[in-house]
Amino acid sequence: MQRRDFFKGIMAASVAASAAPSNLLAQQVATPAAPPPATPAPGPVPWMRGLMEVKPLPISQLSADAVAQTNANFFTGIQLATLRRLSEILAPSSNGYPGAIEAGAPEFLDFLIGVSPSDRQQMYQSGLDRLEAEAKQHFSVSFAAVTADQADQLIRPWLRTWMNDHPPTDPYELFINLAHSDIRTATVNSQAWSDAAHRAGAQTPNTDLYWYPVDPDLHHEGSTQTHSVATYPRPS
Amino acid sequence: MAEETVDVLIIGSGHSGGMAAKILTEKGISCLMLNAGPVADVHKDTEVKPAYTLPFRGFKQPGQLPHVFQSNEFNANTWVDEKEVPYTYEPQNPYNWVRVRLFGGRSLFWSRASFRLSDYEFKGKSHDGYGDDWPISLADLDPYYSRVEAIFRVQGQKTGLPQFPDGNYVLDTSPWSVSMQRLASAAKPRNIHLCKQRTSLGINGLASSVNLLLPDAFATGKLRAIPNVIVRELSVDKNTGLVNEAHFVDRLSRREMSVKARIVILAAGTLESTRLLLNSNLANSSGVLGHYLADQIYGAGIVCSVPDARDGKSTPELMGGSGILPRFRNIDTKAKNFLRGYSINVWGGTGPMDPRNFATYGVDLEKKLASYHGSGISTGIMGEVLSRYENHVRIDKDVVDAWDIPVLHIETKYTDNEFNMARDSVDTALELADAAGFEVLSKNYNPNPPGYSIHELGTCRMGDDPKTSVLNKWNQSHDIKNLFVVDASSFVSAGWQNPTMTISALAMRASEHLAEEMRRGNV
Repeated sequence: MQRRDFFKGIMAASVAASAAPSNLLAQQVATPAAPPPATPAPGPVPWMRGLMEVKPLPISQLSADAVAQTNANFFTGIQLATLRRLSEILAPSSNGYPGAIEAGAPEFLDFLIGVSPSDRQQMYQSGLDRLEAEAKQHFSVSFAAVTADQADQLIRPWLRTWMNDHPPTDPYELFINLAHSDIRTATVNSQAWSDAAHRAGAQTPNTDLYWYPVDPDLHHEGSTQTHSVATYPRPS
Repeated sequence: MAEETVDVLIIGSGHSGGMAAKILTEKGISCLMLNAGPVADVHKDTEVKPAYTLPFRGFKQPGQLPHVFQSNEFNANTWVDEKEVPYTYEPQNPYNWVRVRLFGGRSLFWSRASFRLSDYEFKGKSHDGYGDDWPISLADLDPYYSRVEAIFRVQGQKTGLPQFPDGNYVLDTSPWSVSMQRLASAAKPRNIHLCKQRTSLGINGLASSVNLLLPDAFATGKLRAIPNVIVRELSVDKNTGLVNEAHFVDRLSRREMSVKARIVILAAGTLESTRLLLNSNLANSSGVLGHYLADQIYGAGIVCSVPDARDGKSTPELMGGSGILPRFRNIDTKAKNFLRGYSINVWGGTGPMDPRNFATYGVDLEKKLASYHGSGISTGIMGEVLSRYENHVRIDKDVVDAWDIPVLHIETKYTDNEFNMARDSVDTALELADAAGFEVLSKNYNPNPPGYSIHELGTCRMGDDPKTSVLNKWNQSHDIKNLFVVDASSFVSAGWQNPTMTISALAMRASEHLAEEMRRGNV
């Protein structure tokens, strides 16, 4: 139920409740079997009074990223350092638009991957581990410390072109190319990117029609995985 | 307590249920429509938002809707939740079942592609010996197609191609862009025709049952509709064998209820109608209920760039527009390793290109994106999947949905016919792109999983023989004369064409037949 409808419903209930005592008395005399009225809210004042008259607050959209840091706690310290360097390499700032680091993309991906299915988590973790191992093997430094040229040698051989819904199938190729795509998306979908677009005189990018849950089922329990007997009368 | 028996009970509110309601109520017949989901109100249920304000920054919520490739964080709440209404399959044969239960169903969100089947589809067996012919031909459906096209305001051009039957169109007079002309010139010597798309304009661009069909039905005063009720089972009168009652559950409260009806029309969407019949153990004397599930191959295609549209030189005259290369295989010649055929959608544009088309990153990628901006042309296959008995659905006895209704187990897979067809379509697109002077950036030979096209077809197929089909040629159950199924489950073969026009024309034809039978007292 939408908030507005919720208020309307409550308002109606409150109005009915405040009018109830005299009605109830009359009904008790005339029709003793009448159902009891809705239970009134406790206290002398209807709880929802005046809410229908409230004007919407002039709140402009502010994402928490504008003022707060994401606490990265899924990847290990080394994995996150690798992801940060990878993000810096793949999506640097340019032309007044933020890079992945300024957009908080690595920390956001730490959150996103941390709540993702396990196959996605493993793909990221093993991919980051391999980048680190290859940096040490070839350049004797952590990936977090590789130069741009060294990073290019480690990354470019794995880059592929691919079409929607059909990323590469080799696990490491998949990691490099999906991580690239994810880092870019986390960057261009950030508020920092949107702010940069505004400064450049452009419209808010990546805007679309968002659907709220439509009349959501509050009892939603999902599949119970077992059969129960339907309760309507069946023909014998 | 209500003891009413409704004249016609319609289960489902999409294009097929909406068409049945419109036709029947306009003939004065009272209908009750049940729909499993709520009524959406775009003014109340939506808001334009930037991605950064969404909980997952525009990424889909991880683990949500894994089989709905079309979903994203903006539209995730419009699809059926796979956890709420699960379905099962063997891990090696996945199926993407993409569902909408909002009032109006999937008619709210569709591509508007509006094609007729040809007799290469209706009479496919007569042409190539495979499968079964439909019990009807294009000539039977032609007048209904024409009326449906008028309601949907289908925009198109006539071509005279027998495999791409012409219809009743709002004439498309837009000129071809230069890049499309190049493609047409490359295609013509290969006996492949670039044609204008055929698209439902509807009203304000929406071509749904909620704005084209149901308003007319409600205007008669003969249609009542109940949202948020999920039909669990149908039952029959023991004496007559006729269906006489629908048992449903209130989606929100889970209260169980029943309604009596003289006639029942299933229009719940192919697999939901079949699931309901299977759960009711009805209409299956043939043993083919649930079988012959087919759809269309999507996902195989290429992405190209038109070189002279790069570096700021893209214009609508050079790059705009879209087209279709309608089926060209197995018409006059025989393809070497597959039956039937496919069409190729082609679309260009003056907008940005997807970074996935460039195997580079950072500043170099940004330069590429700037240079290639507005130069992209893409192709995608729409290919016929053969109808096979073994591709089927059945009830999974071990899993129920959130309302304790047993779910479907879907067992279907593509075979070499589909994979070879997909490969041929990509190789053909590459050949045409090369001949047209386009630079190919990406290609993909692999079809998306079965179901992806959202064109699930068959499982209640029609036919003249009650031993091999569930419905007769009027979408009426062979077994139960007052039971009709008017969605795409009646399809005998899939064709390559988006099925909406055929679904709507069949529903119109079946409903007019039903009205006449009711007038004569035959049902």
